Amino acid sequence: MKPEYEDMFDYYKHTSMFWNDMIAMMSSKPSALMAVGPLRNFTENIKKISQELIESNQEIVDFNTQLVEYYQHLGETWVGAQKKVMAKISEVPQDAESIEAYKRIWIDIFENDFTQMFDNKAFSENYNKLVSTELQLLKRWNTIMDVMLKSANMPTKEEINEIYKELFSLKKQIKKINPKKKTRRGKNDPGV
Amino acid sequence: MTQEFDSTPTIIGDFLNFNRNLVELSTKVTVPHEIKIGSCPYDVVYEEDRIRMLHYKPLTSKQIQTPLVISYAIVNRFHIFDIDPKKSWIRHLLENGFDVYMIDWGTPTNMDKFLGFDDYVNDYLDNCVEHACDQSSVDKVSLQGYCTGGTLATVYSALHPEKVKNLVATAPVIDGWKDTTVVSNIAKSFDVEKMVDAIGNMPPEFMYYCFSILKPFEQGIEKYLKFFQNMDNEKYVDSFLKIEKWLAETPPIPGELFKEWIKGIYQDNLLIQNKMFIGNQHVSLKNITMPVFTQVAVGDHLVSPECSMPLHYAVGTDDKNLEIYPTGHVGMIASSFSQKNVLPKLVDWLKERS
Repeated sequence: MKPEYEDMFDYYKHTSMFWNDMIAMMSSKPSALMAVGPLRNFTENIKKISQELIESNQEIVDFNTQLVEYYQHLGETWVGAQKKVMAKISEVPQDAESIEAYKRIWIDIFENDFTQMFDNKAFSENYNKLVSTELQLLKRWNTIMDVMLKSANMPTKEEINEIYKELFSLKKQIKKINPKKKTRRGKNDPGV
Repeated sequence: MTQEFDSTPTIIGDFLNFNRNLVELSTKVTVPHEIKIGSCPYDVVYEEDRIRMLHYKPLTSKQIQTPLVISYAIVNRFHIFDIDPKKSWIRHLLENGFDVYMIDWGTPTNMDKFLGFDDYVNDYLDNCVEHACDQSSVDKVSLQGYCTGGTLATVYSALHPEKVKNLVATAPVIDGWKDTTVVSNIAKSFDVEKMVDAIGNMPPEFMYYCFSILKPFEQGIEKYLKFFQNMDNEKYVDSFLKIEKWLAETPPIPGELFKEWIKGIYQDNLLIQNKMFIGNQHVSLKNITMPVFTQVAVGDHLVSPECSMPLHYAVGTDDKNLEIYPTGHVGMIASSFSQKNVLPKLVDWLKERS
């Protein structure tokens, strides 16, 4: 079932996008008058940044929900393990020699309970959703950075990626043409 | 009812000793980043892009003719094979007359994110094998792969059986669906496409997270408590710092390779089903017709025995041996146990076939 807050988000997103576009269109002339230097690009591209920020709202909410669930998994497991430790140590005498035994019990129980939790499907699903949302936010951040780099007349991540890809493919082609291109370093290069 | 707690002097004594050791520690041991790992000297005999192949200097006057090329894992660095002279896998092999090469996969940069299985197997590994053959004037090598390096060695042996005389697979990652470790639990539903798209290479920080969930309390707390208890034991501290340094040196994994790895091995489990394609070449484990020695550890919390053992049953040779040891992932290659139990069997098996 669709959560209640999603309707509110849809409304908020739609309204923000609408006014974002409207303001960008309506203020194109005044902004052109104001942005006369190297920052002109930035002023023109700022709409893209607003769009990314609006789009990221839903992801921030999802991220927080998943993060709360993640800590809930950790917290519940911790409390459960601690209860087991408390039940067990009541059998251990309270003297200096037993400190080692207490430590062993604590570590064994915590190790066992946490391993079970990490092995649990519900944990891995939530964890992977959390990482995925974080990556989505990172992608938005990358887009925002690209807008800023573009405005500063610097190569963007996307452009650098294209160069890397081109270099990678060129290197492969060179290796095909000259397959025996090997750098032998002889025995005058001691490793240790 | 309250129990008497009458051991205060002992606790105070321990506390004072602890403080003294803590103060003296930094004067007794080397700064961690200055520690040198490795005891066996080697030459760097081959380099290509970020990778290097090391050739260890012999320790015997007569050597076994077939060289042994070790394909280390793509996680962490190769130093664990020679971290302590008394527990050194490399030294043991050299002392038994083997001619040992080690592939160091190096540290990929953002520019290397497009490197995949095809580049690692059909390019880097193949070039290293060719080079070892040239140097030793032989047509075939013995190939050992450890952990993820075991998977690369297995795939290589299936695609280039004519160049591999013997395959030694030590805790290889083969059947992802049968893997029962927490790492596979995470990997099975991991959005690897998005990660590669957003970040590029698989960052070491993510690997540190995976390490931290393996044995969080033994490795994350108990290990350090033991360290503080043994601060006055120079040998213990030295060994501890070497391992810590090794653990902290995890290189990133090229994005494309990581993607193919997670999808092909853990999510779709293509390798064991003989459905994997690398560089348009079909990988069939039935093509592995050379002698195969598979080593697995019962206590392996990184690659479970259920994940490695299927290799033994899937290969196309009758000359195969499966050994199961009561130790862990690292214990199998760098411990007193491995010196006494794992290596002697491997040495005998390899000598017979080299």
